[in-house]
Order: sequence, then C-alpha cells, then structure tokens
Amino acid sequence: MDKNMNPNPNPESSVLSDEEKQALYEKYMRSTHALGRLFSILVLIMLLGAPFLMGSLLGALPDLSAAGKAFLGVGLVYLISCIAEYLIYVPMLGAGGSYLAFITGNLINMKVPCAMTAKDIVGAKSGTTENEIISTLSIATSSLVTIVVLAVGVMLLIPLQPLLQSPALQPAFDCVVPALFGAMAYKYFRGNMKIAVWPLAVMSLLFIFVPGLISSVSMMIIPGGAIAIGLAYWYFKKGR
Amino acid sequence: MSVLSRLNSPVFYLICGGIIAFVAVICVIFAVRAYRAGKAIGMDVTKMKRTIIASATFAVLPSVGILLGVIALSGSLGTPWPWLRLSVIGALHYETQVADVAARSVGLEGLSASGMTAQAFSTIALLMSFCIMWGMVFCTISCKAYSKKLNAPKPKKEGGGKGSGLMAFGDQAMTAMFIGLVSTYIGSYIGSFVSGGEGGVLSFTGSLLPLCVAVVGALAMAVFIFLKERHKAEWIDSFSVAGSMLIAMTAAIFLGKIL
Repeated sequence: MDKNMNPNPNPESSVLSDEEKQALYEKYMRSTHALGRLFSILVLIMLLGAPFLMGSLLGALPDLSAAGKAFLGVGLVYLISCIAEYLIYVPMLGAGGSYLAFITGNLINMKVPCAMTAKDIVGAKSGTTENEIISTLSIATSSLVTIVVLAVGVMLLIPLQPLLQSPALQPAFDCVVPALFGAMAYKYFRGNMKIAVWPLAVMSLLFIFVPGLISSVSMMIIPGGAIAIGLAYWYFKKGR
Repeated sequence: MSVLSRLNSPVFYLICGGIIAFVAVICVIFAVRAYRAGKAIGMDVTKMKRTIIASATFAVLPSVGILLGVIALSGSLGTPWPWLRLSVIGALHYETQVADVAARSVGLEGLSASGMTAQAFSTIALLMSFCIMWGMVFCTISCKAYSKKLNAPKPKKEGGGKGSGLMAFGDQAMTAMFIGLVSTYIGSYIGSFVSGGEGGVLSFTGSLLPLCVAVVGALAMAVFIFLKERHKAEWIDSFSVAGSMLIAMTAAIFLGKIL
C-alpha cells in the first residue's frame, strides 16, 4: 500500500490489515487485466465486424485493396502515433484507465486531461494504487457522460441541428481544443515555468520555420514531451 | 432509396447503438469495481465522489464538441456510424481526416454525400476502425507486462532511500510530459499565426483565433485558481477546466467576428 492512502479510511476497510488490503488490490489488478483484455478483444471484433455487417446489409462489402492502399497512406502515421500514445499514457492512466481510455477514445481532448485534473484534485501520485483507482473512475465517468451526451444529441439531432450548426456558434465549437489547452497551459506552466519555457520556445520556433509540421501536431507531441521530460530529469538530478 | 437514407435506417442505429451500449456497460463495470476496490483498500470515499463529479462536469463540454463532430460527419456517412465512432475509440480531430483519405482511396473526390456508394461507405468504415485500433491492440497484448514493469520496485542505489531514483521522478515526468504536450499545441497555434497563412513563413497572416482563445482560456483558469486560493474553496477545482473552456469558447464567438 502506498503512503498516499487516506489517513481516515472507511470503517469497513479499517478492520483489514495492510497485507489483506495488498492482497485485495492485487486481486483487483489481476481481474482488471483479465476483464480489460476480454473487453478489448470483444470491442475490436465488433468494430472490425460492423463494417462487414453493414456492408452485407447494403449489398457491398468493403474493398480490401483500396482500404490497404489508404492504410499505407494514413494508417501508418496513426500506428506510430498509437504506439507513442500507448507508451506515454499507460503510466499516466494506470492499467484500468488505459484499457477504458483506449476502448473509448478521445484521449488527448478529453480522457488524459480529465484524468490528470481528477488526479490533481485528489492529490494522487502517478504509479500509486490511489492513482489507479482515481484514473479508472475518472475515465469511466467521462466516457459515460460522452456516451449519454451523444445518445441524447443523436436522438435530438434533427431539431438541434439548426442551432448547433448555426454559423454564429461555429467558432466556439471549432475552438474546443485551443480553449482546453489554454486553460491547461496556465494550470501546468504555473510553478513549472523553468521547464515549460523551453519546449514552448522550441516547438513555437519549429512550427514557425517549418509550418508544414503544423498538420502533424499529434506527432510533434513526442519531441515536445521529450524536451520537457529531459529538462525535468535534469532539474531532478540537480536538485537531489 | 439513397445510400444515405439506408445508412440512417433503424437497423444501422441498432447495430451501432448495440455496440455503444456494450461499451457503456464496460464503463459501468470498471467504475463500480474501482469504487468498491478503493473503498475496500481504505481510500477516502469523498475523494472518489469528488473525482466522479469533477470528471462528469469536465466531460460535458468536450462531449458537446464531439457531438458536433457527429453532426459534421452525419451529412456524408449517415448518423449511426459517426455516432459509434465518436462514442467508442474514435477522436474528433482524427475521424474526418481518415474518412476523407479513405473516400479518396475508393475513387471519390473526398468525403461527400453526393458521391457516396454502398461500397465506399463500408470501405471507409473499415479503414476508420482499422487505423485507430492499435492502442487497444497494444493494451490487450502488453498492458499487464508494461504496468508490471512500471510498478516494479527499482533496486536501491547507494545513498538513496525509499522514493529515490526513477520511481521518485515518475510523477514529475508525467507532469513534464503534459507540459510538453500543451507546449506543442500552444506552439502550433503560434506557428499557425506567424507562418501558417497564405504569405508563408513569418508573414503573420495565419489565424490568430486559436491562440487568442487559448490565451482567454489561460486567463479564465488564472481567475479560477485565484478564487480558489483566495477563498480556500477547493470545490472550484471541479469546475475550473470546464468553466475556463466555456468562457474561452464563448470568447471565440466574439473574437471570430473581430479577427
């Protein structure tokens, strides 16, 4: 058990010894992996099967050679991006959170900031049991909210469409991501400016002098993150 | 009956809605298990409830944005498929791009309702699924081993105690990674304005809107943090990100008219 645990635990849990709690947590993690794998495989089968099922209902199955060509064009970029996301986000989100986040998607624009915010609110540290639980709760909740909002929205799609697609509101919804990252920038840069200034300067200059990279911003997260982590490590070593 | 009408038929809603319902059940199972496990190992129930409330409030605004993505794609792919894609596994900024490339690969001029055929749709749908499934695949194959490796106790170094070495650095590394991620996006907004316009490098003719919206979002967050610290009101944290986004998005409507 990490020392980050609640000093005033639940009455029910207080009767358990540390060893029993550890055993419970290990059992929880084992079943998380088992369920995570099972559900991921089932969702994969459904998602890959749906186009064939829909195609058969339409009387036209997918053109596999065209799909293969298109994959070589755009899919490889996303394959590399997915590898980077996997390596970066699993330590952030924990195992349960990662299974859910990769099943439900929208990682950059929702799940990761949402889990990080929840983690900050409760003061959980990465790699702890508390972070594992908080992250899973956060991602499950945000996924359910998205599912409900989308389901309600789809039901109301026809009457809502004129309002939501009104040109007056378009700039607001086109700017969801800048609005999010502006807010997160203040939250994370504050108190970490000696680290933040360098990736911000380097990435800005890179995008200014090689504007072609702007369309590959999701790939550029890798060098941006590497600079920040490198600096953080340097300060960490220096401060020890 | 046109392809689009067939794509919006009840059976398609049933297929996509069924998969979404299954994923919703998965989320409920994971949430309940995590809550019970947290309680059993002695976590503060208040903290877990705060997490649920904060995450729910946080998710509302981005979800509305995602809903707009469904609406945007529904004109060419029907409503059920974009509804599925953006509820499960997909990402708002990704779907349109892949759908467009897939449409071109099957001979269409781009993603549009007018040229859509049954085979074009099923090919586009397959590619959309295939391109972004890898995170899930890697999780299935190696999340257990990767997590084990991350949580494995590192050998103690001379002069170090508990919490020394890379494990102690882990939390700072995650914060740093997020700083790098945010810096990259903010840098792209600066680059878009300075060199992303028709005039090219250093022409200052690109769109200033994303950068201004990000600045408004940052200022709004500064106010939320100030209020939280001034009044020692921790609850403000639950609404600070969503509130800042809402303020910045509202500002975008007005800024869009000026810029």
